Parts: sequence; C-alpha cells; structure tokens
Amino acid sequence: MNASRSAAIFAWMLLAPALIYVIAIVAYPLVDTIILSFTDTALKKTVNWVGWDNYVRIFKSGFDVIILRTVVWTFFSVSIKMIIGVLGATLLNAAVPGRAIFRVLTMPPWIVPMAIGIFMWGWMYNGQFGMISGLLQRFGLVDGPVAFLAYGSTAFWATIFTDVWIGVPLVTLYMLAAIQSIPKDLYEAAWVDGASRLYRLRRITLPLIAPSLITISMISLISTFNSFDIIWILTRGGPSGETTTMIIDTYKTAFGSYKYGEGSARVVLVAMCLSVFCFFYFRIVNKLAATQER
Amino acid sequence: MSRMTKVTLGAAAMLMAGTALAMAADQTISWIYCGDTIDPIHQKYIKEWEGKNPGWSVKPELVGWDQCQDKATTLAVAGNPVAMAYVGSRTLKQFAENDLIVPVPMTDDEKKTYYPNIVDTVTFQDTQWGIPIAFSTKALYWNKDLFKAAGLDPETPPKTWAEEIADAKQIKEKTGIAGYGLPAKTFDNTMHQFMHWVYTNNGKVTDGDKITLDSPEVLAALKAYKDITPYSVEGATAYEQNEIRAIFLDGKVGMIQAGSGAANLLKKTKINWGVAPLPLGPSAKGPGTLLITDSLAIFKGTGVEGKATEFAKFITSPGPQGEYELQGGAGLTPLRPSPKVDEFVKADPTWKPFIDGIAYGGPEPLFKDYKGFQNVMIEMVQSVVTGAAEPEAALKKAAADLEQYK
Repeated sequence: MNASRSAAIFAWMLLAPALIYVIAIVAYPLVDTIILSFTDTALKKTVNWVGWDNYVRIFKSGFDVIILRTVVWTFFSVSIKMIIGVLGATLLNAAVPGRAIFRVLTMPPWIVPMAIGIFMWGWMYNGQFGMISGLLQRFGLVDGPVAFLAYGSTAFWATIFTDVWIGVPLVTLYMLAAIQSIPKDLYEAAWVDGASRLYRLRRITLPLIAPSLITISMISLISTFNSFDIIWILTRGGPSGETTTMIIDTYKTAFGSYKYGEGSARVVLVAMCLSVFCFFYFRIVNKLAATQER
Repeated sequence: MSRMTKVTLGAAAMLMAGTALAMAADQTISWIYCGDTIDPIHQKYIKEWEGKNPGWSVKPELVGWDQCQDKATTLAVAGNPVAMAYVGSRTLKQFAENDLIVPVPMTDDEKKTYYPNIVDTVTFQDTQWGIPIAFSTKALYWNKDLFKAAGLDPETPPKTWAEEIADAKQIKEKTGIAGYGLPAKTFDNTMHQFMHWVYTNNGKVTDGDKITLDSPEVLAALKAYKDITPYSVEGATAYEQNEIRAIFLDGKVGMIQAGSGAANLLKKTKINWGVAPLPLGPSAKGPGTLLITDSLAIFKGTGVEGKATEFAKFITSPGPQGEYELQGGAGLTPLRPSPKVDEFVKADPTWKPFIDGIAYGGPEPLFKDYKGFQNVMIEMVQSVVTGAAEPEAALKKAAADLEQYK
C-alpha cells in the first residue's frame, strides 16, 4: 500500500512541472478568456456579466461571413502549400546534379524576417511602383497600372499567395525528410517487379509519407487560420472588409475598439473552430495508426 | 537612556529623514512620448521645469507611433496609468467617458491664444480634456509640369471642387497620368482625407450629440469623390495618404492633398510644384481643412494629476510650444498666431495655405468609440470609390451606423 502510494506521489512529482506549465500557459488564460467573453469588459472601470450578449452581437454583425471567408482563405492557402511542398520535396529528392543548391534555394522565404518579406510583396503588388504590374504592362497584358491590393478579389488572392510563399519552405523540408526516411529497398523491389514511377508514388511514397503529411497539414492549418501579419501588413482587412479573417476581426474588436469582452468571445469562437479541426485530425491519425498496426 | 539606545534612535531618525527626502525627490511625472527620439526642445524645457520644481522629475518614455496610444490605454485600463501621454485628440472623449483621464480646463485667456477652432479639437461637454501639442492641416499640392503638359495654366491651381475635378480630368485625358491622388485604403487617413472635403464645404459629422452626417454638404463631398475617382490614381483602395504622396513625389499624379511635410520632401526633388489652399465646395464659407491635433492627456489615479497638468500647461505654453513647432522640418502647423509665425510664413510662403485653412476648419469628431466611427467612414468612402454603392445610399447607411458609436 505504502509502496503504491509513494509510486503515485513520485508519478505526480514527475508530472508536476508539465502540469504547472499547462495550467499557467494554457488552462488559466483559456478559462479567463472564456469568462471574459461573457462580460462587457472594455475601457470602463466597471465590468458586468452580460451572458450570451457578446455572442449574439457577433453573429448579428455578419461574423458568419467572416468565418466562411477564413475557412476559404485557409483551405486554399494550406492546399496550395501542401501541393507545392510535396511536389517540391519529390523534386528535391531526385538524384539531379546541384541538388544541394536547389535545396538551399527553397529557404529564403523562410529565412527572410516575415515582416520584411510581406512588405516586399506589398511593394510588388503596388500598381505604380510594383514589379508585377510593371511586367504585365511591359508585356502588353494590361493597359495601365494594376493595384492588386485595391480590389477584394485580387487582394484576397494576393494575401493567399504571400502566405503560400512564406509557408512552402517549411512544408517542403518536412516532406523531404519524410520522403528520405522511406527505405530504398522498397523502391528497388517495386522497380524489379516492373512498377512504374506513378505506381511507386501512389503505392509507396504517398502511403508512407501520409502520417507526416497529415501532421504538417495540421500545423499549417492552425498557423494559417491564425495568420495575422500577412493580411494586416498588406491590407488591414480591406478593401471593404474583403480580406478580414476571424483573427483580423478579433484584433480590431479587442485592440482597435478596446472591446475586450466581445474580442474574447471572438477568440473563443476561433478556438472552437480550431478544436473541430483538431478533432478530425486526431481521428484520422488514430485511424492511420490502427491501419498500420494491422 | 543608554548611549547604545541613543545611537540606535538617532540612526533610525536619520534613516527616516533620509527616506522622507528620498520620497520627496522621487515624485515623478511619467510621460508616454510617441516617436523615436525626445525632441531637444522638449528636453530643454523639461530640465527648466525640473529646476523650478525641486523634488519633481519628468520621465518621458519613448514608444513608437504605432504602439503609443495602445500602451497608454492598456496601462490605464490595467489600473497602472502613466501620469501623462501623448494621444490623438480624437480619443479624448473615449478616455473621458471611461473615467480614465481628468479634465484640463482652459481659461478664456488661454483659449484666446490659439487659432480659431483649435480648442474644439479637445473640447467635450464644455470642458477641455487635453492640451494640444501637435497640429496638422492640409493643402493642395499640384505638379506644374503636368498642368502644363495637359494644357492647363501651371500657375493657377483649382480653387473649387468643380475646377479640381475638371483639371484632374484634363490631366488624365491629355497626359494619361492620374490627375488626382485619392487615398482610400483601409487606413485612418482615408477618413481624414475625406474630412478635408467635408470641411471645405461647410459640412459636419456631429452637432453636439446629434449625428449630422446625412446632410447636403457631406453628400456633395461624397459625390465629388465619386466624380474625381475616374481621374485618380488607379486602385484608390490600395493606397493611404503617404503612399499617394510617394506617387506625387515620383511625378505620377497631378494633385494631392498633403501636409507641410510634403513640401520638405518636394524641395529635394526636381518636380516643379506649387501649394495652395484646398479647393472649396459649393457651400463653403471660406478656406477649410480638417484640424488634426495630438494632445497631452492627464491620466486619473496617479496621485500627481495636478502637477502633471501644471507641467503639461508649461510645456505647451506659447514659448516652449512655439519653439518646438517652428523649428522647421517637423511638419507641424503652428497652434497659435504670433509675430514669430508671421516671420516664419514670410520666410517660407509655402506655409501660408496651411494656416489659411484653419479659419473654417473643423475638428476630428469626438466619438465614444473612435475606431468604430473611423471604420464606418472608411467603409462609406470605399463603397463609393469602388462603385459598390451610390453616394446617397452609402451616406444614409453610414449615418445610421454611426449612431451606435456617438
């Protein structure tokens, strides 16, 4: 009895640092934010409990459109990053001369400080001084300057493109590591059996990199969903709110208008959306693990 | 009493006296100061004030412009306010209504020292809530070479909106270069730029607690915006004021509304330019402009409100303030008329239009949620500029939306 009790105490002692860390860094702020979301906390010194008012106000103010826009923005950005990342990793894994140089060349978007990279893109999208508009005019593809950040549709895609540019190197390197971990004898055996390149990709590469692909997708999805810097620096959510995502809207409410209570309600909704994604992620991961065990 | 006890008590008394002295010397006025450096003029007068007020010190804390207002606000809300902060006067009502700052009433004599309408920028509920420390107005810059190339008289800038729109059209059609630079990005100065049109047509956004945005004067301004857009820089919603200024500095636009800082930059270019009062709308009574002031706000709950007010009034008094704003290159419009200002304008006549506009200028409207107001105005302007809404409908919607923020 005593031995099992001391074993339990020892186990708790081992767990304690991690538990304290999780409580201090995750649990306490989360609970506090949830409580705050049910109050009218703002600049004023008094705080009142307002029940579901903040949530009702959010959905009456067209937040559903912002949620949908965020999901679409995230979907396209993550999908493009994954496609380019997997293709890039496959190419970088190929035995071509100068492979090391190509690998290094994928890094700059990741190495350049993010804000500087975004400002650079801001200038490239500029209609008057920007390189893209200049090239389009030089090749006679457009009549005059095109300000890509001026219109909802082009600004939306411009922000996605910049996010893809920043995010691709991480995905590529992660997938390259996954591809390199596949035993070479599997490919040799398939080659001896006469399997084509496509067949090998479909039946060996993709199944074996699937766990890594799902993990990096999830990491990319969370960071893209919460991506703030790119949109804020390029468009501040404009024009006419066409690039306002959930995180931009949350920032504007909480720190622009100093409505901390309503801002917290938006944070809770962001967390809920990401929790749904995580739920599906873990289901897929568990399914994959079960399949591999069989 | 033993010698030992006497020594102990003596030491304790000396320690207490020392602590009291230290406490007396420890009275500080913390000041959130926006920018990268503390202006040497301010440094000089801080020292002078400290010399006259023994036991008091002023501790400016430099905070970048982007975070300056937020830092002062966050500290105040968290119950740890600074004594004094440099804030946009537009936010004073929001601070006052939330009991974060104390009023700083001005005497009639103090009010009389300022140019007309300046005190309105810090007045709410018949009292003042800040002391103006920085001021800016706008004027019209035009590119004389582009005017000439378009067949316009390069020495005659437009005086009315109708002339301005016609000139912009002619420049665009004759040279292929944008006639006007209209900034409409999701940015605060999109609202500022529109307010210049409102105040050059005798318009108003609020009258006391009443929203007066939906008026013929403001509608005319919005219609003028719609009319000038086809001859403006392509993609107005991609540019804010300083980005439009960069295009003007590159010789790629005929006219812009800008502050005095543009003149300093233009002097370093080969552009042949001129500066004139902002063109007037059909209902104008005289030259106008939006009067933008930044103020020193005194925060509540520091225990040094009185002394901070005293210092704020000293540093913004005609002597130090005049020296600060007339040092040249700062791009600040003088807050008060004075013989020195007259000399300054005589020496550099490009300043005249910036001062002429004050007469019929108006303040940034004070709202309890200033950002809410700003967003509504930006949305209104963008919807008209992009053709998503007609001016009448956009104005009605904006006027209705503003009710929640007043």
